[in-house]
Amino acid sequence: MDKPVTADGELARRASKGDDGAFAELVRRHAPRVRALCKATLGGPGEAEDAAQESFLKAHRALGRFTGEASFATWLHRIAVNHCLDILRAAVRRRSDSLDAMLEADASALGRALAEPSSAQALEDRDTIARLLSRLPPEQRLALTLREMEGLSYEEIAVSMSCSVDSVKARLRRARAELLEMARHFVGPDIV
Amino acid sequence: MTHEQIQKQLSAWLDGELDSAASSEVSSHLASCAACEGEAARLRRLGTVLFRAAAPADPRSTESFVARVMSRVESESVAPWERFAARILAPAFAVALAGLLLTISLPREDADAPLGVAMSIDTESVLGVAP
Repeated sequence: MDKPVTADGELARRASKGDDGAFAELVRRHAPRVRALCKATLGGPGEAEDAAQESFLKAHRALGRFTGEASFATWLHRIAVNHCLDILRAAVRRRSDSLDAMLEADASALGRALAEPSSAQALEDRDTIARLLSRLPPEQRLALTLREMEGLSYEEIAVSMSCSVDSVKARLRRARAELLEMARHFVGPDIV
Repeated sequence: MTHEQIQKQLSAWLDGELDSAASSEVSSHLASCAACEGEAARLRRLGTVLFRAAAPADPRSTESFVARVMSRVESESVAPWERFAARILAPAFAVALAGLLLTISLPREDADAPLGVAMSIDTESVLGVAP
C-alpha cells in the first residue's frame, strides 16, 4: 500500500515548528520549479542557483507568516518572484557600458532570428536574449519570463507579481513592443 | 474596436487571454488587415525565439540542491553565541591546549633530577657505606 502523501500545508505547519525534515520535503517538491524560474529570469547559472537557494531560505524564515490562504506553491513562488525582482532592480543600477556596446549586435541577431525563425541561424544564443531582456524594466522582464518561459496565465502572473491582470497585460505588451523596436532599429523595419 | 485598439490587444490575443467576444473581433480584423496580421506574426515569432532561448534545467540533482539549502537552514538555526564559540573559542582553546601539551613534553635540562629540584644525596650517611 502506498504511503499517503502529506499535504504541503501540513508540512509547512510542521516546518514552522522546527521540523527540518518537513521543510526538506517541501524544498524537494518545489525545487525544480523555483530553480527553473530563477534560471529563466536571471540567466547566469551561479546567480540563478544562489537566488533559488535564497528564495527557500526566505520562505523558511517566513514560515510563521504562512497562513494557508494561498497554496504553499503560490506563496513560495511569490517569494521567489520578488527575490528575482530585487536582483533585477539592483542589476539595472549596476548595468555596465559593455552591455550598451553589445546592443547593436544583440538586437541585430534578434532581428535576423525574427526574419528567419526557421533557419539554421535562428537565435539560439541565450546570452544574447538575456542581454536584451536585461534592457527591459525589471517588471516587464519578469512578466515576459513568467509568460514565455514558464507558461503562466495572466492570472497566475498577477498573483506571483502581486499586481492586477491589466498590469500584466500592459507589461507584456510593452516588453514585446520594446524588443521588436530594438530589432527593427538595427535591422530595419523591412526585415522585422 | 478601432485599429489602434486591436493592435493593443494583439499581445493578449496571442496569449489566449481575451474573452471570446474580444477574441472574435481581433480574429475578424486580422483577416482583412495586413498590417495587424504582420504584427501578430512578428509577435508569434518573438514568442518562439524567447521560448527556444529558455535555459535548460540545471543538471545537478534535486537532492544535492536540497542538501545545500538545508545546510544553510541549519547554520541559520545556530544561535549567535554558538557560532561565536565554534568560530573563535574552540580554535583558541585548541591552540592553548596544544601549547600546554608541548610544554609538558619538552625534555628537561637535568633529565635525572626531579622537575625543578636539584638534590644531592649523602650516600654514606644514608646507607652507612661508602659508594
